[in-house]
Amino acid sequence: MYGLENISAHNGWAITFVGVTIVFTGLTLLCLSIGQLHKILGLWENKDTSITNQDRKTLTSNAANAFPKPVMPVKDLETIAQYKLIVERLQQPFSLPKLLDIAVKIGLDRPHSTINTLLVKKIIVPDGKGYFIWTL
Amino acid sequence: MAQLFLEFLSNTGFALADYRHLIMILTGIIFIYLGIAKHYEPLLLVPIGFGILVGNIPVFKGLGLGIYEDSSVLHYLYMGVTSGVYPPLIFLGIGALTDFSTMLARPMLMLLGAAAQMGIFATFLGALALGFAPNEAASIGIIGGADGPTAIFLTAKLAPHLIGPIAVAAYSYMALVPVIQPPIMKLLTTRKERLIRMEEPREVSKKEKIIFPIIGFLLCCFVAPAALPLLGMLFFGNLLKECVVAERLAQAARTSVLDTVTILLGLTVGASTQADVFLTPQSVGVFILGAVSFGIATASGVIFAKIMNLFLKTKINPLLGAAGVSAVPDSARVVQIVGQAEDPNNFLLMHAMAPNISGVIGSAIVAGVLWSFIG
Repeated sequence: MYGLENISAHNGWAITFVGVTIVFTGLTLLCLSIGQLHKILGLWENKDTSITNQDRKTLTSNAANAFPKPVMPVKDLETIAQYKLIVERLQQPFSLPKLLDIAVKIGLDRPHSTINTLLVKKIIVPDGKGYFIWTL
Repeated sequence: MAQLFLEFLSNTGFALADYRHLIMILTGIIFIYLGIAKHYEPLLLVPIGFGILVGNIPVFKGLGLGIYEDSSVLHYLYMGVTSGVYPPLIFLGIGALTDFSTMLARPMLMLLGAAAQMGIFATFLGALALGFAPNEAASIGIIGGADGPTAIFLTAKLAPHLIGPIAVAAYSYMALVPVIQPPIMKLLTTRKERLIRMEEPREVSKKEKIIFPIIGFLLCCFVAPAALPLLGMLFFGNLLKECVVAERLAQAARTSVLDTVTILLGLTVGASTQADVFLTPQSVGVFILGAVSFGIATASGVIFAKIMNLFLKTKINPLLGAAGVSAVPDSARVVQIVGQAEDPNNFLLMHAMAPNISGVIGSAIVAGVLWSFIG
């Protein structure tokens, strides 16, 4: 037998169609999986160091609820508002040295003393992991 | 005494030779010349060429000298080919040599390797149409995969009587890739397409390179279990290389193991091309279909790349499709050369390695599929 007759007699068309499908399926699956591999590895590597937005909110509200809100004189409220703006820019939890550094750069009065006061009055409290949280 | 002398003379090669031996000896010499003088795949053509000389020394049958005689040394060495042992060992070495990072950086280019395997199936249909049996047609078709070990592996399983012509055809066309591919690539692409520059690939981490052979092996062998001997060794060799802790084993795989098996495979495949077995009308058909297979594989890869460009925002250079023909790294080099002929500053080689390597995986999957359907 020759020609199309021989092809049909030996299931040539079916073998070709199924074979092509299997090759493309296999390599497409491989392509898709290794396309995602570096993203999955990236997430895995960053899982310990990154804090998700949900974690931030939970941490902040827990810390804020743990301490009663102090009552402040009016003149101090302005100072507090200035530091609160800086903290919002840094995002919580924030690094205390960074807060001090920015306060010095933008020229706030007596930044060391002010931050100390905020710490004493528990407006700024440690989160237990080396960072700080604004409670007001 | 004269009688003894005459008897001796009648057993020499001079008395036993006929024109077919001379043709094959000349073929062996040409292979050796191409390998040494022209540097066409010397690691393959020199052992095969010398093997052709070994296999075509006219000998008296029954003395246990010929490769097809049970008790001969060559026959025992040839068992590595007929039993399918040598090709997986070669794949072990290839895996230990290969850097998959270009493929990992741009996985989409793997599909070009898949497309290039269409040449195998087109030739399979063509061989069936010419009257070959399905097992023979599959073995002839796999030549289009441009992968010598894969072609030998499948032929040993499906049509061992065709190992000689198929192996010689496969390795010959692999050596002739720089001659066969460029005209097809230029015919199917416009100058504007050949000038397309590829984006820089991203950095691939060590962890990805270590995890990939495990995932690749599991995925490919779950899809096509019959590809296990070849792909298992390929990915194992690559894991040895990438994990670093087994560098001694990787070193052995890509040097002593690979070189030893290449010598034995080349020599015995060459020796299997005895004139009375090789010079048949079937062999002529194998050679013609093998060339067709290569051509269709190249064309399929290029055309598929052009089809992909219809859907992609960032176009890929369609020349990369030709690198899906898994003659590593020659077809990638051909892509580089053809691309640079249009734009000397267009460096396509590393991008072409991605489809080139995926073509190796693709051809192994095809071999597994054909073996499972027809074997």
